[in-house]
Amino acid sequence: MKKTLCLAAAAILAFSSSSFAAFPEKDITLVVPWSAGGGTDTIARALVKNAKQHIGVNVNVVNKTGGQGIVGMGATKMARPDGYTVGLITFGLSTYKLMGLSQLTYRDFDLLQLLNQSSAGLSVNADSKWNSLDEVMQHAKANPRDVSLGHTGAGVAWHLSAAALGVMYDTEFNFIPFDGGAPTRSALLGGHVDLAATGIDEVKQLHEAGEVKVLAVNALQRHPAFPDVPTLAEAGYKIDAPVLDWRGLALPKNVPADRKQFLKEGFKKMFDDPEFRKYCEDVGLILVYEDSAGFEQFLANMEEVLTPTLDAVGLIR
Amino acid sequence: MSFFYLLEAFQTIFSDLSSLLFILMGVTAGIMVGCLPGLTATMGCALLIPFTFSLPPVQGLLMLMGIFTGGIYGGSISAILIRTPGTPAAAATLLDGHPLSMRGEAGKAIGIGTIASFVGGTIGALIMAFMAPQIAKFGLLFGPPEFFALAIFGLSMIISISGESLLKGAIAALIGLLITTIGFDPLSGVPRFTFNNENLLGGITFIPALIGMFGFAQVFRNIERMELVPQVKSKVGRLLPPFKEVRSLLPTMAKSGSMGAVTGSVPGLGCDIAAFIAYGEAKRTSKTPEKFGQGSLEGIAAPEAANNGATGGAMIPMLTLGVPGDAVTAVLLGALTIHGFQPGPLLFRDHLDVVYPIFAGMILCQLVLLIVGLSGARLFAKLINIDTRILTPVIFLLCIVGSYSMRFSFFDVGLALTIGVIAYFMGKAKFPVSPVLLALILGPMAEQNMRRSLMYSQDDLSIFVTRPISAAFLILAVIMVYSGYRRFKKIKEIEARMQTESQHQEG
Repeated sequence: MKKTLCLAAAAILAFSSSSFAAFPEKDITLVVPWSAGGGTDTIARALVKNAKQHIGVNVNVVNKTGGQGIVGMGATKMARPDGYTVGLITFGLSTYKLMGLSQLTYRDFDLLQLLNQSSAGLSVNADSKWNSLDEVMQHAKANPRDVSLGHTGAGVAWHLSAAALGVMYDTEFNFIPFDGGAPTRSALLGGHVDLAATGIDEVKQLHEAGEVKVLAVNALQRHPAFPDVPTLAEAGYKIDAPVLDWRGLALPKNVPADRKQFLKEGFKKMFDDPEFRKYCEDVGLILVYEDSAGFEQFLANMEEVLTPTLDAVGLIR
Repeated sequence: MSFFYLLEAFQTIFSDLSSLLFILMGVTAGIMVGCLPGLTATMGCALLIPFTFSLPPVQGLLMLMGIFTGGIYGGSISAILIRTPGTPAAAATLLDGHPLSMRGEAGKAIGIGTIASFVGGTIGALIMAFMAPQIAKFGLLFGPPEFFALAIFGLSMIISISGESLLKGAIAALIGLLITTIGFDPLSGVPRFTFNNENLLGGITFIPALIGMFGFAQVFRNIERMELVPQVKSKVGRLLPPFKEVRSLLPTMAKSGSMGAVTGSVPGLGCDIAAFIAYGEAKRTSKTPEKFGQGSLEGIAAPEAANNGATGGAMIPMLTLGVPGDAVTAVLLGALTIHGFQPGPLLFRDHLDVVYPIFAGMILCQLVLLIVGLSGARLFAKLINIDTRILTPVIFLLCIVGSYSMRFSFFDVGLALTIGVIAYFMGKAKFPVSPVLLALILGPMAEQNMRRSLMYSQDDLSIFVTRPISAAFLILAVIMVYSGYRRFKKIKEIEARMQTESQHQEG
């Protein structure tokens, strides 16, 4: 008897808290799979800066790092689907399964929205003898493995983006992987590599200060912050489906539909916040919105683009 | 010219006293964060960034720099008192700081540490204020071969921190190097020794290892000794060490501080490496190397001056090139960007109104650190007089919280505990653990840069000796090992002679 009463009470409590109480009644957690202070983390913090204005509660960034982002994205997947945990997902999610690092794919999540797409920039030091992509490619073709190409890590978007160029135009670079964007940039500045593949926004200031020459951007259109930098196609090396870095928001599966809808609208409002837009423009980040369906379509395409590229650099497992 | 700008910046800061308040708050919060194992200066800064949103940019930054300065310093307090470095940068400080506090001179150890931090930090800040552009150019000379040679040079410090047996020290370092091969390899994109456990993809992360090796292992030792050995009552003693002692340490502090600043300014090297290098160098050139490891004042002054000197150094590449010198400056870089200033070459052209207050603020942070540190030293030193039967469970709890909070992961707690058990038994068998730690810091740097260099030279080994900086560091490493070995022999001889003499006397 006592037990039934308890159960009934529990049921009522559970019922009332789930359908009658307003969502959200407490702060929301945004899981960021990369460390505090990095590029992704900074964007996340800028995005949720004015959360209270838009959804009535704060969104707190929690960094769950490690395992190339797998730990943090895995934590989002496993989180309680009550809508109080939202996860930031990034490019790696497109490669984990292909590279044999984890079984995690975008199919493990309920996608909320795409936040941004970044394209690769190929840069040389300001003192470099090369002034155009064509000169580099000619030289690299004539002298296989003579051009050293620094990138930010094996399997990272920028590596794959440069690898795709090499495969497509039968050119052999001497790839030198670094551990992230910052060391790649200093290697380029110090003249330790001939060419660097990074996110184009990562060299924005060095480009403006005239410390590096950005030869081309691996995108279909020019980058608004780099109006003078040609696309690969304009530089004479057309690639149909460029590898793009991306960031987006996702929920664990089975979050109640009304809460999902609320979060969708809420995060869209934060995404449209003029302060956030201004910040992204300042750092050269291109915001691209896609809703759940569009985001899913984009990620499905991405896997198709990546499979042959990963295969070409020997990273498919 | 820059002197004039600096004066103007001081004027700006002093014109609004709330700026000073923010520095004070930052430094104090930093010390608290720093002395708790597992909470690092990096986390402190990252957590505080949202609060700085509402502040004017300069004041927000002053507060963050206060945390940076205080956090690196604060780590030494727990290293000295409970043999658990609060931050990786304080790992070298415990070698002499803890023995000194076990002798009942905790107050003195903290006092020397504070003064050394102040001297080193001020030198670092001054170098940053007046030589930033030149130093930044120097940092860029470091390519993969240079980083490899530097890592080897750093690893040669093992000879200074091995304690009683060089062989056991070398074995410990090798274990550490092997551990660093665990995890995702960013060069080839392949997971190594992870046994399909995603938690291991990032490798054995540094903070749980640090907490395990020192924190948990110390807890186990305390438990063992608790009922047997009477607790040494620490005389908090004089707050300020006698001026004569401080004066004799000043050359060590100045040298270590400048070395720290230069080390910190090379992107990728942090305060922790700076501290170990300074410790090794101080021991190498010391008149009394046999005292190192037994509570040598030089052994506290050198790493503390170096790690705080490195804070100023690490800011240099971040501000001038937009390339962070270490993890904390990476967070500061994010904060600057959020406030609308993109660090890099253009910052010095367009935003002198931000650059110089940063320099001035860094100098002020050191002053505030000296005042807060010295007035807090008495309080901190009293902590060690708490009954170990109460203190030990508290440390245990802190270690659990600390290892969890780095990435909010229970896996890390288990990892730290396991490492703690291993470290406890290593201690029983008289294996030093500090070489493991040094290997954990430098191992990935050595391995990755060796492979990177060989990729660059297409497997030509001569790349390491034909590039001048790389060759110089390799030669330095050889000298370090050679002179370290001779010194080690000498100390052993002296000890043996003393032993026979005492036997004679007894006989």
